[in-house]
Amino acid sequence: MSGGTNRLPEPAGSRIDRGRAIRFGFEGQEYEGFAGDTIASALAANGVWLLSRSFKYHRPRGSMTMAGEDGSALVQVGDEPNVFADTRPIEPGMSVTAQNYFGSLEWDVASLIERFKWLFPVGFYYKAFYRPRGIWNYWEKLIRQTAGLGRVAPATPRRYFDKAYLFCDVAVVGAGPAGMAAALEAAKSGAEVLLVERDPQVGGSMSYVRSAPNGNHDEQALDDFQEQLSTFENLRMMADATCTGLFTDNLLSLVRGNRLYKLRAKSVVVCAGALGQPATFRSNDLPGIVMGTAAQRLINHYGVKPGRRAVMLTSDDDGYGVALDLDDSGVEVAAILDTRRGAATGPMASHAAERGIRVLVGTTVHEATPRPDKLHLSAVLTEQATDAKGMRERIDCDLLCISVGSTPNASLLCQSGAKLQMTDETGSFAVRAIPPGVFAAGSVNGFTEIDAAVADGRRAGGESAQHAGFDVLEIPRAPTPGRVESQYWLGPGHPHGLDFVDFDEDLTVGDIKRGIAEGFEDVELVKRYTAAGMGPSQGRHSALATSRLVAQVTGRRLADVGATTMRPPAYPEKFGHLAGRGFNPVRHTPLQHRHLEAGAQVMVAGLWVRPAFYGPRHRRSESINDEVRAVRQRVGLIDVSTLGGFEIRGPDAGEFLNRIYTLSYDRLRVGRVRYAMMIDDTGVVVDDGVAARLGRNHYYVTASTSGAEQLYPSLLWRQAQWRLDVDISDVTPAYCGLNIAGPASRAVLQTLESDIGFSREDFPYMTVRTGQLVGIHVRILRIGFVGELGYEIHAPSSNAEALWDALSDAGRPFGLRFFGLEAQRVLRLEKGHIIVGQDTDGLTSPLEAGMEWALGRRKRYYVGKRTLDILARKTLTRSLVGYQLSDTEGRIPEEGHLVVRGREIVGRVTSSAWSPTLGRPIGMAYVAPEQAKPGETVQIKVQDGRLLHARVVPLPFYDALNARQEL
Amino acid sequence: MHGLCRFRSTTLSTRARSFSACPTQGPELDRILPTAFTRRGFVCRRLVAAGARFGELAEAAVPLDFGDPASELELARKLGLADLSALPRIGFKGPGTMDWLSGKGVVIDGAKPNWSWRQEGGALAVSRSYSEALILSDLGASGNLCLELDAASEEAQAAKAYSLPRYDGLFWFALSGVESSKCLAKLCGVDLRSRSFSDGAVAQTFVASLSAIVVRADLGSTLSFHLLGDSASAGYFWDCTIDAMDEFGGGPVGLSSLQALGAEVE
Repeated sequence: MSGGTNRLPEPAGSRIDRGRAIRFGFEGQEYEGFAGDTIASALAANGVWLLSRSFKYHRPRGSMTMAGEDGSALVQVGDEPNVFADTRPIEPGMSVTAQNYFGSLEWDVASLIERFKWLFPVGFYYKAFYRPRGIWNYWEKLIRQTAGLGRVAPATPRRYFDKAYLFCDVAVVGAGPAGMAAALEAAKSGAEVLLVERDPQVGGSMSYVRSAPNGNHDEQALDDFQEQLSTFENLRMMADATCTGLFTDNLLSLVRGNRLYKLRAKSVVVCAGALGQPATFRSNDLPGIVMGTAAQRLINHYGVKPGRRAVMLTSDDDGYGVALDLDDSGVEVAAILDTRRGAATGPMASHAAERGIRVLVGTTVHEATPRPDKLHLSAVLTEQATDAKGMRERIDCDLLCISVGSTPNASLLCQSGAKLQMTDETGSFAVRAIPPGVFAAGSVNGFTEIDAAVADGRRAGGESAQHAGFDVLEIPRAPTPGRVESQYWLGPGHPHGLDFVDFDEDLTVGDIKRGIAEGFEDVELVKRYTAAGMGPSQGRHSALATSRLVAQVTGRRLADVGATTMRPPAYPEKFGHLAGRGFNPVRHTPLQHRHLEAGAQVMVAGLWVRPAFYGPRHRRSESINDEVRAVRQRVGLIDVSTLGGFEIRGPDAGEFLNRIYTLSYDRLRVGRVRYAMMIDDTGVVVDDGVAARLGRNHYYVTASTSGAEQLYPSLLWRQAQWRLDVDISDVTPAYCGLNIAGPASRAVLQTLESDIGFSREDFPYMTVRTGQLVGIHVRILRIGFVGELGYEIHAPSSNAEALWDALSDAGRPFGLRFFGLEAQRVLRLEKGHIIVGQDTDGLTSPLEAGMEWALGRRKRYYVGKRTLDILARKTLTRSLVGYQLSDTEGRIPEEGHLVVRGREIVGRVTSSAWSPTLGRPIGMAYVAPEQAKPGETVQIKVQDGRLLHARVVPLPFYDALNARQEL
Repeated sequence: MHGLCRFRSTTLSTRARSFSACPTQGPELDRILPTAFTRRGFVCRRLVAAGARFGELAEAAVPLDFGDPASELELARKLGLADLSALPRIGFKGPGTMDWLSGKGVVIDGAKPNWSWRQEGGALAVSRSYSEALILSDLGASGNLCLELDAASEEAQAAKAYSLPRYDGLFWFALSGVESSKCLAKLCGVDLRSRSFSDGAVAQTFVASLSAIVVRADLGSTLSFHLLGDSASAGYFWDCTIDAMDEFGGGPVGLSSLQALGAEVE
């Protein structure tokens, strides 16, 4: 038989396919397993139990649970760190390595640290590394080298992770006996049920725990369940899916493969089972010491013999079932150590007695003895459970199975708001105060016997369906709480330590007690001080013991101690799951392809992608200057489709605009265009554009690219209060905008077929015309942002490309050049036009920005007017001015550079550029009001600390009489 | 006066004509490209790159198929994404919208927002709120409802039903097939399964983080959704949806497949 020397014959191994051998590598050695094996089970089949080294002392570790619950089973698979070896299936050619060792896994040099453990008492990192001053720089490098488990490979190829939503009426987490029963009961009501299971198959403990003294696990009952589950069309099973979080309103996060699911359910039933707990004795972490259920999983799921000679440490009857499984598998059971005082009388115990298995009542393990190579268990030393000085016995064994009680796997329930309370009866936690809409069933709810768990599952299934709004004729009765099935046995600890409570952090009983002795008496503080429960196992095997120790040391009742907070994720999520396939919408104008074809270098402006300039990146300045010159001397074409566009229609449209903007619009003649500046209630400039009156009750208003998105809700918000007879529609993406500007722009348009007259008389400055241009419906505004004769053509977006092509072709004989955002910024700066958001900030009033001309002085009301009236009576603290620098200064300030007066900061540069038209650097800046007079000199502090002297000049820099735009 | 004339809120075709359910094949069909028209779709370059064959419909190039209509019909039954942006559509908003539309013979219930009604001739009237509606043409653009409503937009404005240029403002895609709701579950947090989101239902929500209108409008017996959103993000949305379809073996389909599905008896 291949697949490893420890492989058991059939029928053991329900999850493996013995017909499909798989070869894989571990630590450079090749091994063979079967399809269905996990890394850990396949290695165990080959006699390899050592999987990793512990975090702090580099102690040898193997899987303790065979269920992906403990950090000792974490390995590296290729470039993927921290993979649970006991749940990850093997694949052909898989390359697995152990984690956290220096040298080799067997000969880890760093394990010498354990000899100096007195140097690393609990909380040592709070007390070290800070003296003498500067020493941290040394320690940090060393700590970074040694900390962490797996290796992150920066060159890891990008993998595809994504997210998806799921919906159901009832979500059942955990497909053990309680979960399957709950799902079936809920499905009977007609509810849509999703049954989520972390394992690849349903069944939970039914698939591996011995159900009867003379039999194996209950295969027939499991088969019956599976058959019933498949009969309901409204019941869907999702195996291999880990529920990592349960959030408000029953939103659950599920991880399956490379996908994160967001499941929304009306009701949730948590059947996450219970977590077997380790016992505390010296060297309780050696490979070969496992949970009893781990041994049963190895035998029943994977057909692996877990050892040759075993000792069973138990505090309940379950341990006897484990012993019988071991005996059936050919493992010699040297003894059952039962921590209880009286002899067990249950059917499993009787059967074990019939088989002649030796039982030591009232006995526990004092310490485990490693082999000479320290890598595996070789014997245990027993002691009397109630008398540490009583008789001890050494028992040779290579396997020690533990079954000393459990704690509810209650992380999800606690995330939903439930509380954990320790009970004197069990010495363990119980779940309390579960919120409405969330239900618990099975061993997480305290029912560990399979029959009771099934009954409890049926009860929870009925209740959950009813909560989800389905008719349930009769909710099955909850099982009667019976005898206490399990009493958690903590163990006495060991005078010489190595009695680990937290295996992730290598914390011993002594460490926890020391932390408490230092004054950290609350479990939350103990957790923070000692780091207990902070490792990859998230306290699944340490939280209970820690709370018990706190109670023990402080003398408090168990019920008063409580538990630490459990937060999501309950199980690890990869960064890929969280980050995978984020949606980041972008907006492109309909001319994006034309821009790229023309060699545009694009830039991001909000969600929009816009051409910055046309030409190779290394010729940025030359390209921008050439584009500016083309507009000034000939004709240029720019895509301004990103401007906001709003239709304002209705009898009160003029009144609405009057209130929104600072100038008047109700008396604007039809066909005219007017500048539109918007300020907020605090008098701050928030947006600008133009308003074109297209009809008596119809205006078309543009807004800045950056402001458009916020403007629309703000307009609706005002209208909701004013309730005017007006409609406001955002038509931004519906219309493209093309601005053809330059002295030849009129001539270009006049070559095109149109029913619009473009002569100065037919189409004067600040007017709007609608009609046809090359057969396309257009709306043309004659405005002059760049200070030249220009026409802003708005047309349906679907026509943008055809219109652009027509204008490009027509403009070619006139030397038309495309220009981008950068050239437009220079052109408008030469003209002294501000850009809201660049030349203004969150505090700029029109008075500071020199925009008094845009205020309707005779208007009685507009938004922000009252504030402006108050501001007008106060002294200004800054003013926006134009400045120019002598080009002999050799430098151009950058936007944001400070304007200083001695040691005082008086303002900042808002716009700065080399003007190809004027042949010198120009800009706009805030200065002190007394410096704002033309001719004043201000100092600008540039990046290297140099002071540049700038002269304040009147705006605009270019064409002061506005002759060019009004040609 | 000043050459000012009415600027039509949409540029709907003045001569819509329909296609047969089974498109003709041949060199003539292959020659038609979006660049032959002044109106071009928002994702036409992607469609050309994917091998789309276009036909003329409503004065624009509409992708009819991608070269293999027979297998494409099967794809549409499973999971297909079609660009319907060339088909007419128009919106109306304002307090008089529902009454005015009803007066024009449009079947719509103003008291039932987020629902849609099939019109005689195949058009769809979508109620977005108590005072806003969207009219989608039939898949063959054979009816003239959108054109007639557009032509009457001045009359509508007088009745306080303000027309909206949805032809240019919204892309219009259709996602069809049995896997379509599963595919949408990768993009949208709203429960769009058949059981929860019945034929005719409308959701105005975020799809791929983009504000979108989702209309369930089954084609024959095939599950199907209309997806409409900001035309400036059409390319982004198309790419996201195609990516989400990959695991289901879905892909782009042409209008012909959808027409064929729509012609099938339920």
